[in-house]
Amino acid sequence: MLYLSEIQRSKVVDMAGTEIGRLTDVAVVPKEQFPAVQWAIVSSKDGERIVRWADLERNDSQYRLRESAVPPAPGELPPEALRLGRDLLDKQIVDTHGAKVVRVNDLQLDDKGGQLRLVGADVGLRGLLRRVGGEGAAEKMAGVIGRKLPRGIIPWHLVEPLEATQQNVRLTLPHAKLALLHPADIADIVEEMTTDERRAVFDQLDVETAADTLEEIEPEMQAAIVGDLDEERAADILEEMDPDEAVDLLQDLPEQKRDELVELMEEEEGSDVEELLAYPEDSAGGIMTTDFLAFARDLTAGQAIERLRELKPDPALVYYLYVVDSEGRLEGNVSLRDLVVAAPETPLTTIMNTNVFKVDAATNKEDVASLIAKYDLLALPVVDARRRLIGSVTVDDVVDLMLPRGWKKRSGRSSAR
Amino acid sequence: MTAAPPSRRPRRLPLRRFQLPAMLLVLGPGLVSGFADNDAAGITTYSLAGAQYGYGFMWALLLTMVALLFTQEVGARLGLATGEGLSGVIRERFGVRWTALAVLVTLVANLGTTIAEFAGIAASLELLFRVPPQISSILAGMFVVIVLARGSFGKVQYAFLVIGAAVSAAYAISAILAEPDWGHATIALVKPELSPTAAYLITLVGVVGTTITPWGQAFIQSYVADKGLGPRDLAGARVDVTLGSLVTNIVAGFIVVACAATIWTHGGQIIDAADAARALGPLAGGGATIIFSVGLLAASLLGLGVVPLSSAYFACEAFGWERGLHWRWSQAPVFYGLLAFFVAGGALFVVIPGLPLIQVMFLSAVLDGLLLPIILTFVMLLAGDRKVLGDLVSGRVLLAIGWTTTVLVSVMSVAFVIVQVFGLGS
Repeated sequence: MLYLSEIQRSKVVDMAGTEIGRLTDVAVVPKEQFPAVQWAIVSSKDGERIVRWADLERNDSQYRLRESAVPPAPGELPPEALRLGRDLLDKQIVDTHGAKVVRVNDLQLDDKGGQLRLVGADVGLRGLLRRVGGEGAAEKMAGVIGRKLPRGIIPWHLVEPLEATQQNVRLTLPHAKLALLHPADIADIVEEMTTDERRAVFDQLDVETAADTLEEIEPEMQAAIVGDLDEERAADILEEMDPDEAVDLLQDLPEQKRDELVELMEEEEGSDVEELLAYPEDSAGGIMTTDFLAFARDLTAGQAIERLRELKPDPALVYYLYVVDSEGRLEGNVSLRDLVVAAPETPLTTIMNTNVFKVDAATNKEDVASLIAKYDLLALPVVDARRRLIGSVTVDDVVDLMLPRGWKKRSGRSSAR
Repeated sequence: MTAAPPSRRPRRLPLRRFQLPAMLLVLGPGLVSGFADNDAAGITTYSLAGAQYGYGFMWALLLTMVALLFTQEVGARLGLATGEGLSGVIRERFGVRWTALAVLVTLVANLGTTIAEFAGIAASLELLFRVPPQISSILAGMFVVIVLARGSFGKVQYAFLVIGAAVSAAYAISAILAEPDWGHATIALVKPELSPTAAYLITLVGVVGTTITPWGQAFIQSYVADKGLGPRDLAGARVDVTLGSLVTNIVAGFIVVACAATIWTHGGQIIDAADAARALGPLAGGGATIIFSVGLLAASLLGLGVVPLSSAYFACEAFGWERGLHWRWSQAPVFYGLLAFFVAGGALFVVIPGLPLIQVMFLSAVLDGLLLPIILTFVMLLAGDRKVLGDLVSGRVLLAIGWTTTVLVSVMSVAFVIVQVFGLGS
């Protein structure tokens, strides 16, 4: 195995053996799984010149131009090229396996039959020591106490580079690998990025993933991200979010920006959000969702199931089905199990549970959380002064309130496997 | 998705949720860092400067205020443009070896500052309750560990900030009540009263080093970056760092004037914390000691909550190690190891019997001042780099001021080393 730091600064000589410069960098086009090195950048006091990698042959510790070589010339690499030294070394990348952002200490290359390929990113202590010239010494010292220095190599196909700098323009790379991660993991990664990178990620993710990811991001940063996005795009993402999450986010934006975004949202989602915006942030009204299922009291079990088939609700919604009267007042709730086992013609009123816990929109959210915890509820309906059902607080809305600070972040992917 | 029941319009609650204007989202880091700048080392150094040289350092306070404003502004720019901390940006721009230097320098300077905070706690508790430093430093170490482990520093820091602000006000009032020679003080702002001695030079290094600090530079940048602020927040960030720099040095100015009017004019000097407290005498009389001690305690605790943490972040960000208090010990061993090293190291240092606490705090400021040129050089190289800052790159005027500051600070530090090594001027 070869490392970039080991070939950087190698001498490059021409056919006659005279030095034409030093190898300072190599470049790949990051398309294949393990991309081949295609160019070498040779620097001398005349500046940088580009040599095709195939035109070089290794000769001990130096590189020699082949006879057939195109003479090295100053020039530009194609825009899709990635220079390993300039664009990757010391930069942050995403380790898509561990779902975290790490810093590149060195790059691992594999030389097979003159074809040099980029195979991994060294993010471990060894890479760091190699760069400062202390790998050998550290290895001996570790050997004395009977330990081996750990390797920290991430195979290249699991690496997602964050960005590459092209002169003064920042070239954004496609984030295909990132998009395959769980939104909660993407969120952790996005929090470590720069504002430009963040915007690039949110521009590229599909709207649904973007919405799920945004919900998982720290509240302070959510507003900053939405503020940076194109407004149409931001409105699309907000529509996909749970209304209560979208509201929390909008709450942190300046009033003018918030109104613009709500205006741009589709009628239905926009008005849901507007309703919720009226409640204080730390009340039941502030954390509830307006996404819930309520059946009119005169339906039968069969009709209710038929209605469910038509609506095809989100899986999370079907666990708490409410029954309301013609005024929208909460009469009771009915479990999916009871609905299914009841004979189709049974009226909902006979199978529903009328002894339902409910709270007022102004109830403190901490109290809501303790009610849900105490009575093992999955959801708690929220009613207005006339007992009309206006929303529902689900257990996932309050679970963050119950966990000590920082707990959510703590569980890395490692503990979930 | 809602099987809409008839008429589901909620009753509108009259209360509109409490709103922070957009500006306030940005305000904060500069002010926090401004107050935290007047930490144990700060209060001590300014007091010593006023007590020994009267108004002889007023000019330096004015100049460092301008310099602080610009260096903090650059720090904010770097945070806004890159979204990374200072060490991360140094790593990306200058590679591993230079980063190792920057990290080493910062850790040494910050360890000195941490020791100073412990010394400040020890000095104030000794004055207040006659607690020996050996006990108070251990107690303070435990207190910091508990506060950080419980994740409650975010809340606690506001209490310290309020106390810090109150004590700053006490200094201002005391300075006015002491009826100082305002004419003299004002002229001294623009007309340097230099004295060509090694002692003057060492105090100058201390005054500069406790105002523009390596950790303050890292702190402003990380704070801005961690809030997810971007280039469009530059205007707000500028207001913030300007306020912060003004607060830092105006308070420093009052400390100097108060000490000059109470201690210097009577030919006194500061040997221990009780002497320094006399500057608050015109306001509080016999209660001066209590006000001074409480202020020193709050300032030290505020510094202690920031500096070790900021050091561990700095090192870990540079080398890409897991960092942050949300990790478990086993997941971020280096981060917690450094944190433990700073807290334990600082506390244990102060346990040394017979340690002259005031001198320890002052010397930590001198150490900061000596190492400052190295960090400032990195910062200024980055400030003019379009590849790093993009459109936020500093303009020519800003760069000129920044580099002038860096050169002056370097000259000062080199002069100090020469004087110390060759024993000149003493």
